[in-house]
Amino acid sequence: MGLKTPSDALVTLTRGAFAHAGSSLGLKTGDWRVTRPVHVHRASPCHNACPAGENPQAYLALVEEDPRAAWSKLVSANPLPAVTGRVCHHPCESECNRGRFDEPVAIHAIERFLGDQAIEHGWDYPAAKPPPDALEVAVVGAGPAGLSAAYHLSRRGYLVTLFEARSEPGGLLRSAIPAYRLPRSVVEREIERLLSVGIRLEPNRRLGRDMILADLEKSFRAVFLAPGAERGREWSVGGVVPRDLRNGLELLQEWISIGSLPKYERVAIIGGGNTSVDLARVLKFNGVPEVHVISFRTRPGPGVSPDEAMPALAREVKQAIEEGVIIDDCRGVTRLILRGEQVVGVELVHMKKLPQPDGTRKPVAFEGTETVLRVDHVIPAIGEEVEPFGMEAVLGANRFFAVDAEGQVQGCRGIFAGGDARLGGGTVSDAVGDGRRAAEAIDRYIRGVALAAKAAPPSIGIGELNLNYFDHAPRAEIRFLAPEERNAEAEIEAPLGAGEVARESERCFSCGECMTCDNCWTLCPDNAVLKTMETASDGSHYVFDYDYCKGCGLCARECPVGFIAMVDEP
Amino acid sequence: MAADEKASLFELRRAQPAFRGLEAGHLACQGCGQALGARLVTEAAGPDVIVANATGCLEVFTTAWPRTAWRVPWIHSLFENAPAIASGIEAALKAQGRLTKVVAMGGDGGTFDIGLQALSGMLERNHNVLYVCFDNEAYMNTGIQRSSSTPHAAMTTTSPAGKARMGKRHLKKDLLSIIAAHHIPYAATASVAYPSDLRKKVRRGLEIEGAAFLLVHSPCPLGWGHDGALTVEVARLAVETGVFPMLEMERGDVVAVMQIRNVRPVTDYLKLQDRFSHLFDESPEARVELEHLQALADHHIEVYGLRGTSPDPRDSEGADTVRRGGLRWG
Repeated sequence: MGLKTPSDALVTLTRGAFAHAGSSLGLKTGDWRVTRPVHVHRASPCHNACPAGENPQAYLALVEEDPRAAWSKLVSANPLPAVTGRVCHHPCESECNRGRFDEPVAIHAIERFLGDQAIEHGWDYPAAKPPPDALEVAVVGAGPAGLSAAYHLSRRGYLVTLFEARSEPGGLLRSAIPAYRLPRSVVEREIERLLSVGIRLEPNRRLGRDMILADLEKSFRAVFLAPGAERGREWSVGGVVPRDLRNGLELLQEWISIGSLPKYERVAIIGGGNTSVDLARVLKFNGVPEVHVISFRTRPGPGVSPDEAMPALAREVKQAIEEGVIIDDCRGVTRLILRGEQVVGVELVHMKKLPQPDGTRKPVAFEGTETVLRVDHVIPAIGEEVEPFGMEAVLGANRFFAVDAEGQVQGCRGIFAGGDARLGGGTVSDAVGDGRRAAEAIDRYIRGVALAAKAAPPSIGIGELNLNYFDHAPRAEIRFLAPEERNAEAEIEAPLGAGEVARESERCFSCGECMTCDNCWTLCPDNAVLKTMETASDGSHYVFDYDYCKGCGLCARECPVGFIAMVDEP
Repeated sequence: MAADEKASLFELRRAQPAFRGLEAGHLACQGCGQALGARLVTEAAGPDVIVANATGCLEVFTTAWPRTAWRVPWIHSLFENAPAIASGIEAALKAQGRLTKVVAMGGDGGTFDIGLQALSGMLERNHNVLYVCFDNEAYMNTGIQRSSSTPHAAMTTTSPAGKARMGKRHLKKDLLSIIAAHHIPYAATASVAYPSDLRKKVRRGLEIEGAAFLLVHSPCPLGWGHDGALTVEVARLAVETGVFPMLEMERGDVVAVMQIRNVRPVTDYLKLQDRFSHLFDESPEARVELEHLQALADHHIEVYGLRGTSPDPRDSEGADTVRRGGLRWG
């Protein structure tokens, strides 16, 4: 009938549409309104919690329909999902709003599934190869931070040369994480695919041995340093060290690379980090009868604050205990008992980290709680620092790189640093995030753009969701090898199947982002929410018709995901 | 907004993926539960349906002369005779051999009080009509006077709360038992808080040959004294506290109930509404009425067996929970 405007409808639309008498559409009830509904994108807690900068809410929304699109979304932040899906401590799950309703979504298992699918199907990373005349950037160290920086720089059109001291890329992923947590083949295949986006890898090139930093500064527009922290810290008890002292990380790396371990009977590993726990489990798998992990902190678990807990991942500590590792937590070593220069035992004392008058927290030993633990070896695994050789000029007297908000080493223009080599670095996911942020900062540095001060918006809390619309559903069961079936090679955590992943992704509350549930469209008493099959400009499928919306706020109240807010009329 | 954007919004309105029987531009209050209920009922029943509408808010706010919000044939009757008119329409359609459905609509005033006789006649003659009563528990259109559907202790302009009395003295009429006594093929209660359940019941009522009755609990922000944004929340709490039992009856027997997994105290429902605000003044009289209303809700839960632990707590045919991608209400 050639209807073009609402006013035409008033006179001409008939049966099946509008009656002759004239449609109520002529009454613009929108002018009653004092507040109006608007769509607002809010950050989900998982997004804000991810050290690597992933937005799990966004890729969980795509998993079921289009796993490849979900993976592309995921790797737009983190190019190593098959790795981090296995080794990350997944703070996304600790923060998941669903965890306050029933159980958190098993985000890590979905991340891993997508990473594995990409490897299996050979999906290409969403990055074009940089042009041959692209500006060049150097990245030193092909661990997670360096790989992430190289990838994100390459995506931004820079030609990246990635220098690696060892013969193969991967950093600690390859050298210090045992295969039962992270199979070699996963590391190799994921990194190989990642490098194929056009990153130039130069292995066997160690800074200070095969090249010097000053030359890199001359040849490249910017340099990202991610050498890791691989030098064991000095350790002694009151100045005393046993003769055959070996450092924990060194032992672990030696076993991973050549498969040999010294002969031990009863071992005490000092330190509560992942290196300590990994080494303890490796020793146990290799038949050492008695392995102790000694930490002045508490073993991690529900209700233990991260300040007080051992830094090792809670699930690793739990599995280590299942495998027979003895965790002596809240204990410190006060004395080495030596016969000659050979250790025969350590004297332990109860310790706790407590607040001091100056506000800091320090471990306090409790007199009268000393015990003797008979061991034949002690292995310190108390943390590592940057090997300064070749980087003295930028490291100075520090043990780690001190960087500014941009990741630039303080006082060194054009030199950026991240990963474990950065003061405060720690996990693989932190390193991936460092690499991404450094790539953005380097891009800004080269283009001469200042960092826009942008505070991350607070994530949406569970109180802002409407939980009436969600039903309880159990979290996918993550299966592990039974303790007696485990060895140092076979991966302990089993993957989820495609069906399990689809079901698990449906458990996502989609916090702060439209999930196209039709609630607003269904519940508007004024028929003022219109649905569109194309995506509206705000990414949802709904449009408010402000000609008729009276501003009652029902849609905002009943939106399950907090995507609608009421704002004052302009 | 630019003119072409307005035109495209209008095109979008015409191209909605489901039938929209009650158009925008009607004059219901902000957050009107009855407008929502009428929309949902018409959408589930239409487009091939004729509506006979008793006097009341719905009739007034949808048809401000010379315009109408209805996109289906619609006739306004007197307060008391919507069931009689619907009966006549149904008989005429039958004589013509047409399959167009007939729905009669009324408020609680037109149903519980004024039109009860005509309704009883329609049910007794078992006309193939779905009668829908939007129950907002008072005469809202004329200024919030109590009806026989007004719950006990609720405040209206003709049952004020004061020294002598805590709101309405009498109980809400047990209309369902009256309906049940007609032994009609299908009768049910529904709520605007559970749209998919509501639509399912409308369709079932229309599928079944013979008279069907549907009571739709429809909060009234103006008359009940709550924010328009809370209409669905209030309706949901009425169900979750046991105040408004959700039932399906066939031939007068209860055949299905919407179970309540976590029964909430009635105060959760009452405290959102000004019409019950006098019950929260901490006086002994108020305490008695609160306990009375709790006992009435408990009585519903007991006699209808509403307490349930099934994984399907809200709906006798699939929980009213959201799914990614929508169309769950369908």
